[in-house]
Amino acid sequence: MLRRTALAATALLAAGALFLSGCTGSQPAPSGSAGTPDPDATVNVRLVLEPGNLDIRETAGSALDQILIDNVYQGLVSRTPDQKIVPALASDYEVSADKLTYTFTLREGVTFHDGQPLTPQDVVWSLTQVRDTATYRDSARLANVSGIAADGQKITLTLKAPDSTLLWSLTGRAGLILKEGDKVDRKTAANGTGPFRLADWREGDSIVFERFADYWGTASSAAEVVFSYVSDNQAALSGALAGEFDVLTGFDANLKDQVEANGDFSLDIGDSTDKGTLAFNQASGPLADKRVRKAIRQAIDKTAIVEALGAGKTMYGPIPSLDPGYEDLSKVAPFDPEAARNLLSEAGAKNLSLTLTIPSAYGTTIPQILVSNLRDVGITLKVNPVEFPTWVNDVYVNKDYQLSFVLHTEARDFENWANPDYYFTYDNPEVQKLYAEAVAATDDAAAADLLKEAARIVSEDDAADWLYNGQSVLAVASDVSGMPTVNVNERLNVAELAKSEG
Amino acid sequence: MIRYALTRLALLVLGLFVASALIFTTLRILPGDIAQLIAGVNSTPEQLAGIRERLGLDRPLPVQYGEWIGGILTGDLGRSQLTGTPVVSELLQKAEVTVPLGILSFVIALLVALPFGVYAAVRRHRPDGVAVSVGAQALAAVPVVWAGMMLVVVFAVTLGWLPAQGFPRAGWADPAAAFRALVLPAVTIGVVEGAVLLRFVRSATLQAMGQEFVRTAAAKGLTRTQALLRHGLPSVGLSVVTVLGVQVAGIMVGAVVIEQLFSLPGIGRMLVEDTGNRDLVKVQGELLVLTGLVLVIGFLVDLVHRLLDPRQREAE
Amino acid sequence: MRRAQWAARVWASGPGRFGVIVVLAITVTAIVSLLWTPLDPQRVDIANRWAGPGAGHLLGTDGSGRDILSLLMAGARTTVLVAVGAGVIATVIGLVLAALGALTPRPVREGVTVLVDILIAFPVLLIAMMISAVWGGSLLVVIASVGIGFGVNIARVTRPELRRILRSDFVLAGRASGLTPSQNLWRHLLPNVAPVFIVQLSWGMAVAVLAEAGLSYLGFGAPLTQPSWGLLLADLQRFISVHPLSVLWPGLAITLTVLGFNLLGDALRDATDPTLSRGSEPRGTEPPAAVTA
Repeated sequence: MLRRTALAATALLAAGALFLSGCTGSQPAPSGSAGTPDPDATVNVRLVLEPGNLDIRETAGSALDQILIDNVYQGLVSRTPDQKIVPALASDYEVSADKLTYTFTLREGVTFHDGQPLTPQDVVWSLTQVRDTATYRDSARLANVSGIAADGQKITLTLKAPDSTLLWSLTGRAGLILKEGDKVDRKTAANGTGPFRLADWREGDSIVFERFADYWGTASSAAEVVFSYVSDNQAALSGALAGEFDVLTGFDANLKDQVEANGDFSLDIGDSTDKGTLAFNQASGPLADKRVRKAIRQAIDKTAIVEALGAGKTMYGPIPSLDPGYEDLSKVAPFDPEAARNLLSEAGAKNLSLTLTIPSAYGTTIPQILVSNLRDVGITLKVNPVEFPTWVNDVYVNKDYQLSFVLHTEARDFENWANPDYYFTYDNPEVQKLYAEAVAATDDAAAADLLKEAARIVSEDDAADWLYNGQSVLAVASDVSGMPTVNVNERLNVAELAKSEG
Repeated sequence: MIRYALTRLALLVLGLFVASALIFTTLRILPGDIAQLIAGVNSTPEQLAGIRERLGLDRPLPVQYGEWIGGILTGDLGRSQLTGTPVVSELLQKAEVTVPLGILSFVIALLVALPFGVYAAVRRHRPDGVAVSVGAQALAAVPVVWAGMMLVVVFAVTLGWLPAQGFPRAGWADPAAAFRALVLPAVTIGVVEGAVLLRFVRSATLQAMGQEFVRTAAAKGLTRTQALLRHGLPSVGLSVVTVLGVQVAGIMVGAVVIEQLFSLPGIGRMLVEDTGNRDLVKVQGELLVLTGLVLVIGFLVDLVHRLLDPRQREAE
Repeated sequence: MRRAQWAARVWASGPGRFGVIVVLAITVTAIVSLLWTPLDPQRVDIANRWAGPGAGHLLGTDGSGRDILSLLMAGARTTVLVAVGAGVIATVIGLVLAALGALTPRPVREGVTVLVDILIAFPVLLIAMMISAVWGGSLLVVIASVGIGFGVNIARVTRPELRRILRSDFVLAGRASGLTPSQNLWRHLLPNVAPVFIVQLSWGMAVAVLAEAGLSYLGFGAPLTQPSWGLLLADLQRFISVHPLSVLWPGLAITLTVLGFNLLGDALRDATDPTLSRGSEPRGTEPPAAVTA
């Protein structure tokens, strides 16, 4: 349930996720209705951020998870767009009553893309590698696993202590199964078990997936899926109107008139766990004063932000509606510039000048609104847009910032609030206790309640501000079906993506 | 002539060294950290150290520079720190887009500048000549980005004649589609650069018109235009050749912005991305290649100029 | 006296007049904007975004509801800043390098000449990106890059002029009549080099404005909250297919300003070159082919 946030490259993904549309509600089911799917079709999907390289073990960035997990690589379990855990390479699984033993039944007859068979030994090897190699992403998620063993097709994981986040972690990078002893260069190629094989990567332009003929499950609907990386929304729109793209992700809802007028496309909107988080450096300085933080929160008009972006929902706490533990906390710090001004004068913070550090890929709308809103309550906001590596260095590593905005796209990442060393600089032992209890909880409902309680404390502490909860905004061509609409920035499963004939 | 060529060659080599040293030195003071980017946000110090060691970032600077230069001399510009692919192969692949774009832009610029520049000079006292001259001035003042956007709105979005962005995945295997993808970008750069070049051509033509032998030819009965075309054009051509080097720089720079606008997978766009990614090795290689290109063209231009104009006096 | 003549000649020509008017207009707008703009350019008004030209907003509003006219006026400040800043840096660098390349003993002269020839190869945009990669993009980067790129250009063009003047009659006469070298410099060299210089500067400022537009588009120029034409262009251009009219304004502003500086430079060149008669070789120089996009 709970997970550390993978932020690297989120920024640029977010450039897409930033553009969100009105309150048409979420549709977790794949979108589109079309004629008979054409089994030989190529579907062209526009994405925003290209991964730096394809090394799913060592390179950070949701851009990799987005396309590689479930399409190319698979784990024992997987999750659906609406966040349910389902079997994948394991045909079923069992968890012991004390939550210390997880048993998976591995499917038979599974082959990797290079033709080698999937064996239980590959599973043991993969999971052990992840747990024991510090340089592998998400390695720490398997820290509670003391034993990994195979007996025939049964894989058994033994835990040192209950971990309610384990199954969730196994749906991500930590659980991916690779072939033991594989020599492929993961940076530029991939050998997995998924319905697609990596056919080509034209750097700076596109990645091509081809249907894997010997896939163990239902073959992919499309013969080929091409992910084209176009950062400019205008270019993407022009391309779509000219017939070059079948699906636009990260679409700017402000452009929806053009898309809808065109008639060939429809706009699909889905919920996501993208959280536009305005972090406060509360370790010292003016933001250490809770009144100042609350004043800032109350000065910012979240409804206007959502309206300006064209999509998205307001959010007033750390847990988005898709994740367990969500509660509507809008009463905690509602939009009220007058109250904000009062708080500031009460705190003796006159003519405050603060600096916002924000990755430049996020565009200009958010900074413009923040500057204007804060000006209205007497705070001068300077904006410091930086490249993402600089953000990582300055904000994330060195905590050298005052205000910072970044879109956290990972689902179930509440653990960041329970980590006093995280760049949020938030340290509340009660929250930490509640979180630990949630992890150790043996009942999902109980865990959710504990999280809810913890989240409320975080919001009441004004630990940060949440500017919006993003939505996945997609423009889908009318002859395309099977496009997921929920949380697309984090996971884009294209196995059912199809284009109809004619 | 030989001695001149050798001197210029020596200067070229020196220039390349100075350029490489400048590029390398500047790029090493980065505040960002490439290891941090690869490792990402949740990495441990061991992960970072491991990556640093693998990429050789922990060796002293002069050693890294030496390795880079040594590599260049053997045709190896190193490997991308992010993907590990050789920089040279990346450059060659992206050059498939940028080189044709550059050449096409250049041709268009010439097609715009030469006839219209001469026309503007010859008819400089007439309204149409003045109009051309003023038009060129206005065009040369237009930001290339804006020009590109306007062309896209008209020809791609509204009329649908040409693609708004991108380059066919098959590359030049489908020459028609590839060419179509480059038309709008090349026209954008070519027309704006052509307008700039036009001013040169115009004043070079004016010079030529004032030359003795042209006036003499005119006196001998040829019309001014005929005299100009027959005798003046070589010197016009010479003046144009002189500014070729700077034109190339202009086209190259236009390409960086235009590739971004039209999402073309070329060297310019790669440079912008790599700068953002802090992929040191690649940025070094790309900048060196680009400035090296300008230096080489300058060198060739000097030679050609010298060859064509035996009357050129030594500058000092 | 000479200066009054130049001014008169510049004013007399159509393009020259246009150039002067444009440059003056931009400068006045920039100064006025410090005191007054129709609306606060930073003021966001989501409910009224993308408004067309109308009563409340003469030129309409942008994607956040900010008044475009106010943004243009405030943007003139940035334009003037970049132009002047780049001009100053280019002047200093240009003069220093030109002087080093003309007034010093031969080995130094040769070395500087070679250095300048090498530095010319660096297009302004690439210099800017190189610096941006190090310190992040900013107006300072734009100003510095244009200043360096153009300063080197100025040096290359000015140096032969300096040499020529050094050898000219009245300078030699000055030396003969006992003036110290620096007195000679003030009295003869600088005033004679000035025309070429000013012409180059004018063209250089045009380059600076274009550079700001291009670099801001790429994200290496003006900071997000600084009103700037280049940034406004980049901002509005993201929605050009739905709101094409809005992009017109910053694009026009940039084009007009660049045109103004260019024409002014041309007119200055024509006006200050006494040897220039129709058809003969203009001394001094040609406008630089664009060193930036």
